[in-house]
Amino acid sequence: MSTAELPVDYEAEKKPDLVQHAVLLVVVSLIALVGNTVATDATIIQGLIGLAVLYAIAMVGLVLTYAVPVGLPSVAWISLVGILVTLPWTPGSAWVLDKVSHVNFLTLATPCLAYAGIAITRREIGIAKSSGWKLFIVAVFVMTGTYIGSAIIADLFL
Amino acid sequence: MEKTKNILFDWRLHLSVLVITVIAEAIGVVAVPIGIGSILLLPLLYAFVMGLVLNPNVVRKVEGWMGQREVRAASPLIVIAIMPFIAKFGTIIGPSMEKIIAAGPALILQELGNLGTILLAFPVAVLFLGMGREAVGATFSVAREPNIAIIADKYGLKSAEGAGVMGVYVIGTLFGTFIFAILASLLATSGWFSIEALAMACGIGSGSMMAACSGALSHAVPAMEEQILALAGASNVLTYATGLYLCIFVALPVTEKLYDLLGRKEPAISNAGE
Repeated sequence: MSTAELPVDYEAEKKPDLVQHAVLLVVVSLIALVGNTVATDATIIQGLIGLAVLYAIAMVGLVLTYAVPVGLPSVAWISLVGILVTLPWTPGSAWVLDKVSHVNFLTLATPCLAYAGIAITRREIGIAKSSGWKLFIVAVFVMTGTYIGSAIIADLFL
Repeated sequence: MEKTKNILFDWRLHLSVLVITVIAEAIGVVAVPIGIGSILLLPLLYAFVMGLVLNPNVVRKVEGWMGQREVRAASPLIVIAIMPFIAKFGTIIGPSMEKIIAAGPALILQELGNLGTILLAFPVAVLFLGMGREAVGATFSVAREPNIAIIADKYGLKSAEGAGVMGVYVIGTLFGTFIFAILASLLATSGWFSIEALAMACGIGSGSMMAACSGALSHAVPAMEEQILALAGASNVLTYATGLYLCIFVALPVTEKLYDLLGRKEPAISNAGE
């Protein structure tokens, strides 16, 4: 097996370029729009405008990811852009907030998890099966550890 | 260009996700009361399960509808599909900036809490489960992509350490959202920690896990939703920014030292798959 076939998929696959990102982001935004219409009382038009604003924020963040190569992941850039345009002292922040208020945040995560379920590879299932129970126990302790560890320290300093 | 078309023409994949999303959102949030609290079942969790059911690697029979091609195509879409969510998260953090600055010291110091993986999981892995060097990779972090990169860089992914980090990564991918949603909703209703502290702890460095965690929290305490989301989002951004350095300079060296103290003395040749 060459290094290109390491048992981790994110290394093997080529990352989509900016144009592909732009196109695919339209696809997932449309799916999110349908989800938002099912989940909330917002009209399709309200949802569409809200998602268009979020699309713009995401695209600016993506462009920055490519333009400023400091190794910050795209999601970090996107959230920074989202923060900057909605700071109380940013001009127009009230308008942005009003538009995105019609989009339910939790609904936006639903398509992502659907893709995640479909993306599980045979190799990943293999790893889970073969060394399953021990790793499962360790993983539960790892996640509980980071969560409770952070909560304890945060509680101490609040 | 060719590839853009390919991905776009994976219409079965996108159509499946659309249908899954509609069904999941139509069901909505369901609260299951248990003992000290209640577990919140969120649409994103149903979506994950439905995704697994449509995965030909999980359920053979769906191969006629979805093949390996769709499975491969779905992988880069996980990150893209989380982008509108992250953008929305940013717009929740922005207006709450003053509250976040007020919580500043706690917010920054709780990043150190991520070392809790070592405190809690390392002794379990080495002393109770008898794991070898794979325990180092498995417990030095929450095993998300940046952490895999660290292990790949230092030990290689075919090493015991690599098997450990990959194992926890896979389990985290499969069950992480469930585990964090359950942890968050149980602790939110237990009253052991302040809700602000639990919200900050949701910033794990994984978009989908933070979504499940803060989603469960805000459903448990709807009155504080905005604050919860703002703190979780800010903490998550901070974890992206600092997590890598914390892992390289603190978590991994500490885990190594602990292994010298507690671990097996003979060179481990076993792999995680015992």
